Amino acid sequence: MSTIILKNIYKSWGTTQVLTKINFKCENGELLVLLGPSGCGKSTTLRLIAGLETPTSGIVEIGGKDVSNLPPVKRNISMVFQNYALFPHLNVAENIIFGLKARKVPKKEQKKRLEDTAALLGLSDLLKRKPAQLSGGQRQRVALGRSIVAQVSVCLMDEPLSNLDAKLRQEMRQEIRSLQQRLKMTMIYVTHDQVEAMTIADRIILIKNGVIEQHGTPEDLYNQPATAFTGSFIGNPPMNILTPDSPVMAACSSLLSIKEATTPYLLGVRPENIRISEDSGIKVMVEAIEYLGADTLIVCRSAKQIITLTVKGKAGVSTGDHLRLNWKPEHIHLFDAKDGRRMEALPKDITS
Amino acid sequence: MLGALWLLPVIFAFWSAFHPAEFSTHFELFAPLTTDNFVRAWSHAPFPRYLFNTFILVTLILAAQFILCTLAAYGFARFNFFGKNIVFALVLLQLMIMPEVLLVENYRTISRLGLLDTISAIGLPYMASAFGIFLLRQSFKTIPKELVEAAQVEGVSSVGILWKVYVPLARSTYIAYGLVSVSYHWNNFLWPLVITSSVNSRPLTVGLAIFGAPESGVDWSIITAATVMTMAPLLVAFILFQRQFVQSFMHSGIK
Repeated sequence: MSTIILKNIYKSWGTTQVLTKINFKCENGELLVLLGPSGCGKSTTLRLIAGLETPTSGIVEIGGKDVSNLPPVKRNISMVFQNYALFPHLNVAENIIFGLKARKVPKKEQKKRLEDTAALLGLSDLLKRKPAQLSGGQRQRVALGRSIVAQVSVCLMDEPLSNLDAKLRQEMRQEIRSLQQRLKMTMIYVTHDQVEAMTIADRIILIKNGVIEQHGTPEDLYNQPATAFTGSFIGNPPMNILTPDSPVMAACSSLLSIKEATTPYLLGVRPENIRISEDSGIKVMVEAIEYLGADTLIVCRSAKQIITLTVKGKAGVSTGDHLRLNWKPEHIHLFDAKDGRRMEALPKDITS
Repeated sequence: MLGALWLLPVIFAFWSAFHPAEFSTHFELFAPLTTDNFVRAWSHAPFPRYLFNTFILVTLILAAQFILCTLAAYGFARFNFFGKNIVFALVLLQLMIMPEVLLVENYRTISRLGLLDTISAIGLPYMASAFGIFLLRQSFKTIPKELVEAAQVEGVSSVGILWKVYVPLARSTYIAYGLVSVSYHWNNFLWPLVITSSVNSRPLTVGLAIFGAPESGVDWSIITAATVMTMAPLLVAFILFQRQFVQSFMHSGIK
């Protein structure tokens, strides 16, 4: 079993609190993504699990064993680094079996594992090359090979695809996902790219400023964002988070029956849920249009707020046009303005 | 032009060594070549022994320096310990002190150790070389931390990381330092002169000086023959390694 549990993890560097009250469980065989903006603490969390850092307080459990103070080698894990960390003076074969040699695995076993892994990753022809003679994608696969050949059930990945171009990233993330499922690895994957997270994760943990914002499946994070931050981080283009000023309220008040503002709140609505209407809704002026082929992004301004919407195909509008936008009540997300937490309110049962 | 000026004594030495005595100060293009001088020089003084001593000396010093400086540099580059900066400052301090200044004090220490007139005595003051520690520390510091972490995750111990990651990656620094050390100690004169008093431990430089002492008259051809014999190994080594010598200095910057 290789379930990973973090209990009440706190981490600080001197006076800076980097992680606060981190609690989560990664099930056996699950691909868990730690997602968040730069500097939020996701890499630190991964390094705590790996054993390259020790927590200020709290417990890390792998496979039911408390490993909080154990060095990396005793935790039975493998790791892929952002910059691959390939040894430049060794060739591909030696890089891959580096750990096996260090752990004194018998030579025959080393050879067998190397051959299997090289075949799996398409590296069999590159075994004699040095890292400097490889492309980015090939180096990435060597780093993957090094972690696979260890044959441990836990694999930790620290932004492994961030140095690759977009197309290669897409190919590699599918490869990683299928490898993980084929080898039944418990994988924790760190990234700042929400597209990566959404496409490969079984579950996602969104972290901001060292605190977990939401922990759930990609669908949960997309359809039921627990905080305004989650709403705006997940989804491309991001959710519109609007303050309910008078133009917005004029458009919405017929759709919602919100109790008279006892707490200040924010409205969230996704760009793909906004429609251009002939007669009802909020008045906006088009500021920018981005044609993407399948969709068009239209950036509009209403008084002080920017609203972005997407329409299919080519939009028949141009910059400077005046439009009216509206949206269905079930597409509105309400968030408390003070802490960003999701609020539930009763939408009026009206069709727009 | 400066190079030509520099080469002049060397050219003279070669000229004089390969020609009989009459031509040592006479420049005649077609003068007969002879190796007679070498034979006479070789038998006049125990040069084989001197060569042996020098060879042992530079090898001993280089080996000791590699071991000591590697360990010290590793400590400075990778670990944080109490007083680290002070200790490193002391190491840098050594860089500023010429060993000649410590001549008398070192002599006293060596005699107390009972090591007077031994090859190890010549080498001892130089073995913990601050220059070596400094060079290797700088070189070790350029190695990315991720490589160390990858090795840690793979289960390599601290010593293993030194041997398998740091040392191979600092190879060019080792070569550069080795060449500098060997040429310095091959040519070192003052300290070996002071500390040695017999053929048993005397290196080539001192042996040559004694050989060339004017009591026996200045026979340039023999003296230059002896000088060429002293220079030859280093010269050959330099010609063989010159590409690596220059390259290693270049590469240690780019990496």
